[in-house]
Amino acid sequence: MDFAFNPDQQLLRDSARGFLDAHCPSTVVRALWDDARGESESMWKDMAQLGWLGLTLPEAVGGSALGMVETAILLEEMGRAAYPGPYLSTVLAATALAEAGSPDQQRRWLGAIAAGAARATVAVLDTDWSWEPAAIATRAVRATGGFTLTGTKRFVPWAHVADVVIVPAQAPEGLSLFLVERAAPGLTLGAIQGIDLGTRWATLTLDAVPVAAEAALGPPAQGEALLQRVLQRGAVGAAAEMLGAARRCLDMSVAYAKVREQFGQPIGAFQAIRHKCAEMLMEVENAHAATYYAAWATDTGAEDAALAASVAKAYVGDAARQVCGEAIQVHGGIGFTWEYDLHLYVKRAKALETMYGDADHHRELIVRRLAS
Amino acid sequence: MDLTYSLEDLAFRERARRWFEANTPRHELTTLEQRRSWHRTLYEAGYVGMGWPREYGGRDATPMQQAIVADEMARVNAPPTINGLGIGIVGPTIIVHGTEAQKQRYLRKILSAEELWCQLYSEPNAGSDLASLRTRAEDRGDHFEVTGQKIWTSGGLIADWGLLLARTDPRVPKHKGISCFLISLRQPGVEVRPLKQITGSAEFAEVFMTQARVEKSDLIGRLGQGWEIAQTTLSYERGGNSLARVTRYAMAFRQLVESTRTLRRSGRPLLDDPVVRGRLGRLYAELEVQRYAALRVLSALEKGESPGPASSITKLSYSEFEKRFYEVALEILGPYGQASSGLPANLTLPVVGSSGHGNTWPYAFLWSRAGTIYSGSSEIQKNVIGERVLGLPKEPRADRVKV
Ligand SMILES: Cc1cc2nc3c(=O)[nH]c(=O)nc-3n(C[C@H](O)[C@H](O)[C@H](O)COP(=O)(O)OP(=O)(O)OC[C@H]3O[C@@H](n4cnc5c(N)ncnc54)[C@H](O)[C@@H]3O)c2cc1C
Repeated sequence: MDFAFNPDQQLLRDSARGFLDAHCPSTVVRALWDDARGESESMWKDMAQLGWLGLTLPEAVGGSALGMVETAILLEEMGRAAYPGPYLSTVLAATALAEAGSPDQQRRWLGAIAAGAARATVAVLDTDWSWEPAAIATRAVRATGGFTLTGTKRFVPWAHVADVVIVPAQAPEGLSLFLVERAAPGLTLGAIQGIDLGTRWATLTLDAVPVAAEAALGPPAQGEALLQRVLQRGAVGAAAEMLGAARRCLDMSVAYAKVREQFGQPIGAFQAIRHKCAEMLMEVENAHAATYYAAWATDTGAEDAALAASVAKAYVGDAARQVCGEAIQVHGGIGFTWEYDLHLYVKRAKALETMYGDADHHRELIVRRLAS
Repeated sequence: MDLTYSLEDLAFRERARRWFEANTPRHELTTLEQRRSWHRTLYEAGYVGMGWPREYGGRDATPMQQAIVADEMARVNAPPTINGLGIGIVGPTIIVHGTEAQKQRYLRKILSAEELWCQLYSEPNAGSDLASLRTRAEDRGDHFEVTGQKIWTSGGLIADWGLLLARTDPRVPKHKGISCFLISLRQPGVEVRPLKQITGSAEFAEVFMTQARVEKSDLIGRLGQGWEIAQTTLSYERGGNSLARVTRYAMAFRQLVESTRTLRRSGRPLLDDPVVRGRLGRLYAELEVQRYAALRVLSALEKGESPGPASSITKLSYSEFEKRFYEVALEILGPYGQASSGLPANLTLPVVGSSGHGNTWPYAFLWSRAGTIYSGSSEIQKNVIGERVLGLPKEPRADRVKV
């Protein structure tokens, strides 16, 4: 039993922090918030160079065949930096491709993704806002040589920069996942501006988009299980990123409480503030345990992996909301300004709270598992 | 990261599980003699004082092995040892700070529960601010004479001996004038009165000492070293068996889910109510996180790292969770959560509390209020975390100015 990172994992964490501190300071984040595309092409290439984009992919395509723990380590650092870009969405899509893709599909996409030449995403939510696969209404209708897809997907992360989108749809055989190129005819995008300008979403309208039979990901009728695994990894990944954002908020609060003086004292000497900081630390440490336990369970296929992912998403979502909210309170007025960086992390955590299943959804999944 | 248990630990757990399944008493232990006898059975099997060094009757067991045994005891709802404070706190204090003669005289009898112990720290006017205690121990040449009052003494009613903090020098700053003693409660100058708790039972007591006698040879450490010794004692108290606690929470949680399946409201099982489901899901997520956190602490202890003030984070976390857990459980169960008897058998809802005692929801609910008070209240833990973990400035306090 060893809950600490091993030396390789520690190294990955240190180098990620070093890279993001140097290349993704808040000035860069702010510049990207104002950028139409919202992400940095050069940072993406650098991340490919560092091996981050192929982290979970097989060595044959240039990846390093690592797992969710390492992914979580990177995502935590990205949350800490409020890094804006399609990392999580691309990793989720690429990991699903590596798991279930045909040799052709893998040849076409995985090398390109690992090399930083392609981006991908998964379009889960329909207009019926539910993370239950059963609620997906987008339909795949048989047509010559394949299918046509019709429906509306909302809150698709980074769809405007994705070269390929994994689209779950109801096919005659049951829920199936399809690879749809963004340039496909009949597919239109509309941007959704969310609370976090470092997270870009789109509405993706599919109007009889033709896809070949070979575009199905994995055997038909196993789409639901595959989507569940994508959502499971998404939940753990989002938890890791929220953890990073929350830890940054805590660090900033503690640093501020040591220097900001009122009534002739640093405010950290007042129990009302000190106790808030202690509670924030407790939440962050618990969130750490939850996130990495779930990541490890996912990697090892532990019996409780899906449960642990739900526990992590539900717990860390609540914890991050609490910690980020209290951070603003500890900072007082300055915490409410646009100039001060706190809101970058607060907003990132908030956006992730709803992604890949909000806390209510995961709490329901937990009860379903326990009571069945 | 590797969260698998080692093969040795798995084998160890298997052996412990078989032993507890075979040997755990089936009936509630009511008399002192029954509890003592169960303690001796545990002792002979090697499950008492496991972490103590071999030379003093322990097993040099790893923190993981100790956690596993506590966990297996919780799993079969085995009654706790009778000499918990002796084993968990007094013994280790003697091992670290005691003389060889003290070790020879006391340790074996603590292990075998031949002598039962309590902890005489708190006083009516010295709880969180323990260092302001007023009980005096005066040097009478060949012995010390103790006068004062202690309160909230767990196990005080059955104890033969107490680990005592008393003031030996009123002229020096308060943290420096305290000494640590072993005192016999079986002597004329000591009166122990039961103190009834909100649960209705009396597991703690008030202890009045009037010119009570402590032998010179029963001073622990140096004169004036009492505060320092108390700090190590308190760290034993805040460490360790959180895995077993979580197992008890998990058993109570399963019982809660079972009850929501059985109990009907407005014509349908409580379990079908989405509000109830949401609350259950939240409780379980928090419960599991306590388990992961316990494993994290254990993995650090295994490597010989001391969690230090970080153990305050764990203590704060689980004691606050426990309180919330039983609060929400009683909300979910409505009037049924308040009944301790008088219902038909299929609607009587037994539960195992974290104390290992009591078997009703009201008892577990009331008992859960203690965890955030004893062994350093939540507020005190937050002060410790703020100052020693986060490095926030110390609060201005009158006693600090004086020192
Ligand atoms: C079940 C149980 C078993 C116990 N067993 C033993 C035992 O065996 N031996 C023994 O010696 N003692 C024992 N105790 C006593 C326990 O250690 C004290 O109750 C505890 O230290 C709190 O002290 P107090 O009760 O005097 O409360 P107080 O110290 O008067 O505290 C009252 C309130 O004020 C808060 N407070 C106090 N100081 C501060 C501060 N600086 N900042 C912010 N808030 C503060 C506290 O958190 C609390 O909310 C036991 C208590 C319980 C409940």
